[in-house]
Amino acid sequence: MTRSFVQLDVFAAKPGDGNPLAVVLDAAGLHDTTMQAIARWTRLPETTFVLPPTSAEASYRLRIFSPRREVPFAGHPSIGSAHAVLEAGLATPRDGLLVQECAVGLLPVEVRGEGHQRRLAVRAPRARVLEIGQPDDPRLGAALAGFTAGALPPVLMDGGRRWWLAELHDEAAVRGLVPRWDAVSALARDHEAMGLCVFARCQGRDYDLVVRALVGHPGQVEDAASGAANATLAAWLHQSNALPHPDGRYVVSQGREVGHDARLELRVDAGGDVWSGGQVQTVVRGTLDWPDDSTDSPSL
Amino acid sequence: MRCRDFLQLDVFAYRPGTGNPLAVVLDARDLDTAAMQAFANWTHLSETTFVLPPRDPSASYRVRIFTPRQELPFAGHPSVGTAHAVLESGLAQARDGRLVQECAAGLLPLQVTGDGPTRRIAVRAPRGRAVAPPAGHLAALDAALAGRTRGALVPALIDNGPQWWVVELADEAQVRTMAPDLAAIAALTGATGAVGLAVFGRALPGSAHALAVRAFCPADGIPEDPVTGSANAAIAAWLHHNDALGPLGRDFMASQGREVGRDGRVHVRVDAEGEAWVGGSTQTVIRGALDW
Repeated sequence: MTRSFVQLDVFAAKPGDGNPLAVVLDAAGLHDTTMQAIARWTRLPETTFVLPPTSAEASYRLRIFSPRREVPFAGHPSIGSAHAVLEAGLATPRDGLLVQECAVGLLPVEVRGEGHQRRLAVRAPRARVLEIGQPDDPRLGAALAGFTAGALPPVLMDGGRRWWLAELHDEAAVRGLVPRWDAVSALARDHEAMGLCVFARCQGRDYDLVVRALVGHPGQVEDAASGAANATLAAWLHQSNALPHPDGRYVVSQGREVGHDARLELRVDAGGDVWSGGQVQTVVRGTLDWPDDSTDSPSL
Repeated sequence: MRCRDFLQLDVFAYRPGTGNPLAVVLDARDLDTAAMQAFANWTHLSETTFVLPPRDPSASYRVRIFTPRQELPFAGHPSVGTAHAVLESGLAQARDGRLVQECAAGLLPLQVTGDGPTRRIAVRAPRGRAVAPPAGHLAALDAALAGRTRGALVPALIDNGPQWWVVELADEAQVRTMAPDLAAIAALTGATGAVGLAVFGRALPGSAHALAVRAFCPADGIPEDPVTGSANAAIAAWLHHNDALGPLGRDFMASQGREVGRDGRVHVRVDAEGEAWVGGSTQTVIRGALDW
């Protein structure tokens, strides 16, 4: 069967800067195993499937798959899918909001501006601190060897997925970090976490923070742009009274070390909720031909 | 920035999802090398190709092949897939069942048989030859094979563009059940300048395929490649060189990729001149327009 398909670049001011995402726009009737097979085949960090909403308040329903498994929530797939739904005319914002129905429930997506200037932001699930480490915590020593820590202690947070967050002294330290993958993987496995996210404050740039997200398990890969990890970091900065600006808004640079140049716009609202977003570029518009697998029960 | 025709294909696949994916930009004029490299990094696929008008009058089209990290002079699955894309889009027609691909490695012939869903395309691989591995490789090879029972053919390092370690195992089961020691394989390929280790075993009579193949390239960031044209060509070249094709004949099917959730089928042929051809079916999965 032929279905509408787009491939997007999320958190990108121009194509190639951000994190790629594949979106199947009319996924009704696709079986779970078929969705997983498509997500494995695209080889992208995530592939999403847009479905009619089952809740009356929702604008659309979304299922998110990595090449290996279904993911309850992730930032860049939510931002990208909202963009795809708007471009395809499948939903229209009400009072500047779309409501995304996904495995973790109903999540609002804020829509600002139109066309090329459009900005989207998703409210991330609340993140919580699991454990605050020591400054120069020995458990992070192997992964960060030789780098001077920043002001905040390292912390293990859960924002849907778990991350160790570690502030480094300055931008050069973050950009110059050569990942020690065995140490990052050990850290991830020991704490059932995705891996290690390092960041630093920046001066005299058009962004406030530089971030790198090193996934140690499963696989060993550096993210081009991480919506959920950055939302978790924003929650930590908020809780630590360490946000770059008093209005709760800041801009992150991520991905240069892996050939991208993403910009993420973070906002902590008056209620303490974190919104993670940015711009999306449509790179491929077309159709996907994939046979329906009739040997499994259809997805609900 | 303008819109270009774009296809994403599944190569060596009898249905979508069973082969090796390939992205093809059908009109790459005025994309420079840096833009091609950036797009090939963005697709996350093992290869992305860019179709250009031929410069040589005897060529049907010209193609440039990129991995996420570098440009390649030649590769098997990108050549088979790009020929499919060119035919599908009407950019070139086969003459007497042949296309001529102009690429960095020169002019390469492709053979086209059948039409529509039954079409098969084969490419002649660069001639494979055994090269002498550095001294001391035997221990590394033993470690990389992690106790597998070997077949009759002597292992060899075969150069057909990339260099492959080609090792026959006792039978198909030895191939299918192999739990690769990726660190040991990376040590072997790193010490000997190989891109990877290709193991194969003969199937029982009555199977739909004659060989089971697996290819491991951990040092290149690919623990196991789903379906590999050049590895299958290297295996065919080494079997032919040793007069060991035997009951396979000169025209047989290899099965690769089941262990990584695929089910690729590579049609392998050794022609009268002893050249190895690899081919198969290609499925068009994504058709669209690219803004880059």
